[in-house]
Amino acid sequence: MAGPVLELRNLRKEIPTADQEPFVIFHNVSLTVREGEFVSIVGPSGCGKTTLLRVINGLLSPSSGQIFIDGKEQTGAGNDLVMGFVFQGASLLPWRTSLKNVLLGLEGRKGPGEAEEIARFYLNLVGLSGFEHHYPHQLSGGMQQRVNLARALVVDPRILLMDEPFASLDAQTRTFMQLELLRIWSQTKKTVIFITHMISEAILLSDRVIVFSHRPGKVRSEFAVPLARPRTLDIKSDHRFVELENVVWKQIEEEVKITGGFTQM
Amino acid sequence: MLKLISIVGGLGCWHFLAVWVINDSVLLVSPLVVIAKGYEMLFVTADLYPHLFASWWIFFYGMILATVVGVPVGFLMALSPLVRDYVSPWMTALYTTPRIAFAPVLLLWFGIDIGSRIAIVFLGCVFPILINSFYGMRVVSRDFVEVGRAFRLSGGRLFLKILLPASVPFILAGLRLAVGRGLTGVAIAEWFGATEGLGYLIFFAGQTLNMPILFVGVAVFGVLGVLGFQILKIIEDLATPWKKELEAK
Repeated sequence: MAGPVLELRNLRKEIPTADQEPFVIFHNVSLTVREGEFVSIVGPSGCGKTTLLRVINGLLSPSSGQIFIDGKEQTGAGNDLVMGFVFQGASLLPWRTSLKNVLLGLEGRKGPGEAEEIARFYLNLVGLSGFEHHYPHQLSGGMQQRVNLARALVVDPRILLMDEPFASLDAQTRTFMQLELLRIWSQTKKTVIFITHMISEAILLSDRVIVFSHRPGKVRSEFAVPLARPRTLDIKSDHRFVELENVVWKQIEEEVKITGGFTQM
Repeated sequence: MLKLISIVGGLGCWHFLAVWVINDSVLLVSPLVVIAKGYEMLFVTADLYPHLFASWWIFFYGMILATVVGVPVGFLMALSPLVRDYVSPWMTALYTTPRIAFAPVLLLWFGIDIGSRIAIVFLGCVFPILINSFYGMRVVSRDFVEVGRAFRLSGGRLFLKILLPASVPFILAGLRLAVGRGLTGVAIAEWFGATEGLGYLIFFAGQTLNMPILFVGVAVFGVLGVLGFQILKIIEDLATPWKKELEAK
């Protein structure tokens, strides 16, 4: 097998402040992600996971450290679209229909006919055939996140970055979308980095769970998820699932305590 | 329905005040007299039209000019900190100075001519348009810019596909605000040495204590304002169909 799809070496991100000391968001982040792997990053609120995702994508530049994709070092946001980004909130363009939103990453890269064919394929994959001409506000929260996912997948990215995509959904829709993501992932075999603060979500979806420490964020520990695929909701009652959930929760609890406990969140 | 009650009630109070309380046609006339005079000027003697058209054209040119200047300057200010720093002190100063103070200067420069009148209207309209264009492009589209950058849109595409469409509702809202200020500009402009126009009509009627004509002039301004506002609202709904349903929610 070829080398890793993504490799982070000693990534650090800090923001200069008025004081002498810069504000460090995360540091010493080294991570290797294999082809087709689903990796989740969990951690306490404000640990810099979302910032890390933006740095990986090139939306922000790292203060130091290196990012390699397929062995090639990334320097700033190039024009190549090798990463799909699924945003957390309402990031769909409200003046575009579902189909047009999904087409965004293909415009200027593929001919219109071909682009539309691909876009329709992915809308179908995420279960939105028949909603091509709906505007975002005409769709439910779950459907909007489906469009969000299709928009990221349509460019056939090497890596799919997902920033708490289900955070704003209600519990039922969220569970349903997790299962949908498992299905879509099994069909596309993408390499995924998934940010979440929900431990059970991370375990259900991932091959590997990375636990981030409190700020400044760094990799505290990582766990391989020893559960076979394809997965269903039943695995949530599997003793290995429950044990892993407890272990990860203990660690996050410790991290929260260091920052001053839950009252400080 | 409530709107109708409000309008009829307001006119009723006015009528009552004019006929029973003041009862002096030099100070106030009943709305019935105004409506009759308006009808006469529109359909019998037809002498309202030259004034209406004169005012309409300076309003129209002033608005067009303000849009052509205000939108690009607003955009440039949003996109370039350099332009922003150069323009903003002047903008603040000109925006907050009462426009009527500029009227004599503009008359001196452009003469008692259509040019100076358009300039006064332009000064009124340009700032709401400019500020809204600036605001729409700079503040509101920030989340969407990140989407554009994540999908690696080039500078030109980022502008055309993200910044411009995100700003359209704000530009249109700016145009709507400009209607009122533009009409004020028309009135001010025509008070200074004009020989026709609604502003002149009101000024002249005031000088000759002709209450019915004065109120007809004021009413026509009011109707024009409402009309302009509504027309822009329709354009807004057509241009941004996604926004109308968003507001209804």
